[in-house]
Amino acid sequence: MSTTGTLEYTPKDYKSDLKPIWCPGCGDFSVVQGIYRALAAIGRPPHEIAFVSGIGCSSRIPGYTTAYGFNSVHGRALPIAQGIKLANPDLLVLAAGGDGDGFSIGGGHIAHLIRRNMDITYIVMDNQIYGLTKGQLSPTSQKGRVTCTSRFGSLENPVNPLLYVLAYGAGFVAQASPTDLAGMAAVIEEAIRYPGFAFVNIQSPCVTYGEEGQQIKGLKAISESLAGLGHNPADRLAAMDLAQHYGEKMHLGVFYRNPEPPPTYGDLVKERQALLSKDALPKERILDLFIKK
Amino acid sequence: MRKDLVFGMAGSGGDGIVSAGDSLLQAAAAEGYHGVMTKSFGSQIRGGESSCRVRISTTPILNPGGNLDVAVALNWEDFLKFGAELPVSGNTVVIYEAATGIPEDQIPLVGVTPLQVIAVPIAAMAKETAGTERAKNTVVLGLIAGWFGIGAVAVMKGIRKKLAKKGEELVDANQRAFDAGRAFAMEHPLKTSMNVAVSDTKGAVKLITDGNDMCAAAAIFAGCQFFGGYPITPSTEIMQFFTDHVWKYGGAVLQAEDEIAGIGAAVGASFAGKKSMTATSGPGMSLKSEMMGLASIAELPLVIVDVQRGGPSTGLPTKTEQSDLFAAAFSAHGDVIRPVLAPTSVADIFRITIEAFNIAEYYQTPVIVLSDQEIASRKETLDPIDTSQFKIINRVQPVGADLQDYKRFKQTENHISPISHPGMLGGTYLASGIEHVESGAPTNSGSVHQRMNDKRTKKFEPLKDRKDLFEVTGNPHAPIGIVAWGSVAGVCREALDMALAEGLNVKLLVPYLLYPVAEGVYNDFFASVQKGLIIDQTHLAQTFKLLRMHIDLPKGVKPLARSGANPFLPSDIVAALHSLLSELQRSHEGNLQPQE
Amino acid sequence: MAIRGIDFTTLSLKDALDLAILVEEEAQERYEEFAAQMDQHRTPDAAKFFRYMVENEAKHGRELSSRRVQLFGDAPRSVSRTMIYDIEAPDYDAARAFMSPRRAMEAALASEVKAHGFFEAALPAIKDAEVHALFAELRDEEVLHQNLVKGELAKLPPDSAVSDEDFVDEPAPQ
Repeated sequence: MSTTGTLEYTPKDYKSDLKPIWCPGCGDFSVVQGIYRALAAIGRPPHEIAFVSGIGCSSRIPGYTTAYGFNSVHGRALPIAQGIKLANPDLLVLAAGGDGDGFSIGGGHIAHLIRRNMDITYIVMDNQIYGLTKGQLSPTSQKGRVTCTSRFGSLENPVNPLLYVLAYGAGFVAQASPTDLAGMAAVIEEAIRYPGFAFVNIQSPCVTYGEEGQQIKGLKAISESLAGLGHNPADRLAAMDLAQHYGEKMHLGVFYRNPEPPPTYGDLVKERQALLSKDALPKERILDLFIKK
Repeated sequence: MRKDLVFGMAGSGGDGIVSAGDSLLQAAAAEGYHGVMTKSFGSQIRGGESSCRVRISTTPILNPGGNLDVAVALNWEDFLKFGAELPVSGNTVVIYEAATGIPEDQIPLVGVTPLQVIAVPIAAMAKETAGTERAKNTVVLGLIAGWFGIGAVAVMKGIRKKLAKKGEELVDANQRAFDAGRAFAMEHPLKTSMNVAVSDTKGAVKLITDGNDMCAAAAIFAGCQFFGGYPITPSTEIMQFFTDHVWKYGGAVLQAEDEIAGIGAAVGASFAGKKSMTATSGPGMSLKSEMMGLASIAELPLVIVDVQRGGPSTGLPTKTEQSDLFAAAFSAHGDVIRPVLAPTSVADIFRITIEAFNIAEYYQTPVIVLSDQEIASRKETLDPIDTSQFKIINRVQPVGADLQDYKRFKQTENHISPISHPGMLGGTYLASGIEHVESGAPTNSGSVHQRMNDKRTKKFEPLKDRKDLFEVTGNPHAPIGIVAWGSVAGVCREALDMALAEGLNVKLLVPYLLYPVAEGVYNDFFASVQKGLIIDQTHLAQTFKLLRMHIDLPKGVKPLARSGANPFLPSDIVAALHSLLSELQRSHEGNLQPQE
Repeated sequence: MAIRGIDFTTLSLKDALDLAILVEEEAQERYEEFAAQMDQHRTPDAAKFFRYMVENEAKHGRELSSRRVQLFGDAPRSVSRTMIYDIEAPDYDAARAFMSPRRAMEAALASEVKAHGFFEAALPAIKDAEVHALFAELRDEEVLHQNLVKGELAKLPPDSAVSDEDFVDEPAPQ
């Protein structure tokens, strides 16, 4: 594989010619810019990046980059991303999608990716609604929220994506907002650089079905910088404490970064492959395994 | 001297009857015999009824055999639970535990008088010689050595090797139990001697393995570097084989959190450029179907092994059936052609699995290997296979000019487009489940959808000309023809040999490629056929219906179908052929009647 | 509106000019993006106005660039786009499908006001006289821009009682 260390990349190098289908005003326009910037800062050539998503408005995002993209099926970005990473650990693997993709239909996969600690960055564009299907209740919709599938208000409590991943032991957890592109780009960059599973929740408003308070102006009003609060990102319990305020406050920045990242799944795989490769029979003699003497 | 013997043994899990079967098969292989062993269990994890069937022959074996030559019942309750899986006939020697207290003339087998019935104090002999009744299985092996001449030396050699680490005392106890069984047999000779002839291939190297291990080994041989899956009976051993071996070849295996994630990871690995695979059984097939559709539209090579068991739903997890045929051919929504291959034995699952990878890679498609519980779990002795005869095909990759303005889904003459993978400079594209234009960009255009559906279905046309994926035996111009696939094909092969020996004018078609249906091959086969049977182990006669969807079958061709766990015996098929023959004769006579 | 890693107290004239160029560049690109979004969503009048804004921002950017070349030639830049966000560019959520020209102009006007505020707020911290003068000039430019947009707004016929947006279809489920 060719790794080009000397070339400089600009955000434009990661922007594809495809025109986003997103509604004008959608927060995802800003998110994709943040991703371009983060990737340019890291400087991996686009062809060494695999960007996987599920289904949903935000899951269109890989197509808007020049990386190898995979816009797969609903809820399954993470299993596919893991297969890619295991098949070729040298790739930079990104996964992205919405809150429904990540925490409803695909909700079962996150815990397992976290416990495997594969070096994959997962970006959730959390808009608290199903946009592509016209505004149904999503797993992060607030209780009482009126949507076309909750005419009389939602009876369910929302999932808290931040606590969810912190509880399962994610090594890197951050939140960003389309209101602060530079901050978002910095957080995504840091997430990608973190050696292990990294999660970034981005509260990205839905301009078509979102509530007024969840538009950019509303989010700005409740946003608060974690760095400004003096939060120590090495303190997991403090991070969980802050994460409890998901929904009321929008804390921006790094909630948790494991100060001593453990080996990744990929590291362990490489170790095992190296250890066992000496026991390999030549493939053409693999049936010798079945000889009974 | 006998050339072929079928043993059927049953007891409870604690009786170790299956490990006795293993020892018998290994001893037979060591003595140069051909052997097949199948196992069958009740639904309990420990201590339920368990049985095995071991067939030993001086010549190659096509299936686990029909009626038992030797039945061993450690208790009758368990033995009877296997019903048609362990059929006793008038030619069967029945050996059973005397401690059951049932007199030899009152054994609970209805409507049959066995050749000979012998009550043996198996438990008592075990207790006396080894100090524990648990050694019953070793006593049984001694009885078999004494009465049938198999494994007099090799059985104990195998047991000694297996138990070496556990100490001399245990080995000695087993030896005493074995000797006691053998001595009992010598002292009570059978009315009709049933000793097996010495094998022609005595001393030759033999492999022993089952269908699942063979399938996994074939995958690694074919270059598979990734397996994603989830435990499910009876396919799990495929994943286990990968966890033991794939690392050695620089590959990886993921025991995923569910069936969907298992195939998802395999789809991802294929996208990343590696040959990859998943394996499952019925319920898992249902769960994986969305991902199969994704692999079809994204044109990603992938091999999916479905080890069939009785369905629907949980069905009969430990029994074989062929009722996933429709699911294999048609599951996942949309207009999709997904090749389905079926092995017929442990020996040919090696070739068929390699073929599945070759087809997957060449056509850039998911391919289903439709194995079944019987092939998966039965052990066969095999002659060594020359692996150099197998060609390995890899996906066509873009080079040079292809990478200038690369179009992943480019329309080409053979509808197959060079496929790049992450890491390849100039090859970036968007893979997607959404309909796409040649570049990979999403579209909802009807005309593009039409063209892309054409591309994704027409590319398989050449596959239907692969005559090497079909086997025709018997008289090529016979008026009677039968079709069978999977483990049922082995039964039919033996039935065909029997029928031909009786002078019947018949032929057999065994398809290894089930889907897409190769109309030409079937039309050729049925050209001479007036009466025929499409045989499968399904309740709905799925094979018959699948063929009828594609082919105008001759009127006299009918289904012969039965639900799983009700195995066909070669004699069943021969009987069916006889009745076809008499129907045919009657209709000919009818034709000779003067017209009004 | 955000800015990162820039200390106005020590900002040099070259960096200040470069920053101003980047601000125009960002605004120009955002208007280009908005125009494309309007094309994509069949909102041609707003698209036309956003293209007009693209031209304005480009023109201003060119003027600043030629001054930069005169003064500093091709001396390397030490500020970058990653340091700024939404200074003169309208917020992403200012765009709407089927937005009326009036609404598009109001969005542009708001961003000119925002930019004015940015330069205004930066002025007190600036020590360097030349930089101070430049920022004051840029601030005043924003007033001109505002007037330009206000002029366009004035050209619009008076608001009708019904909005075009009231006639559009429901969003299409995908």
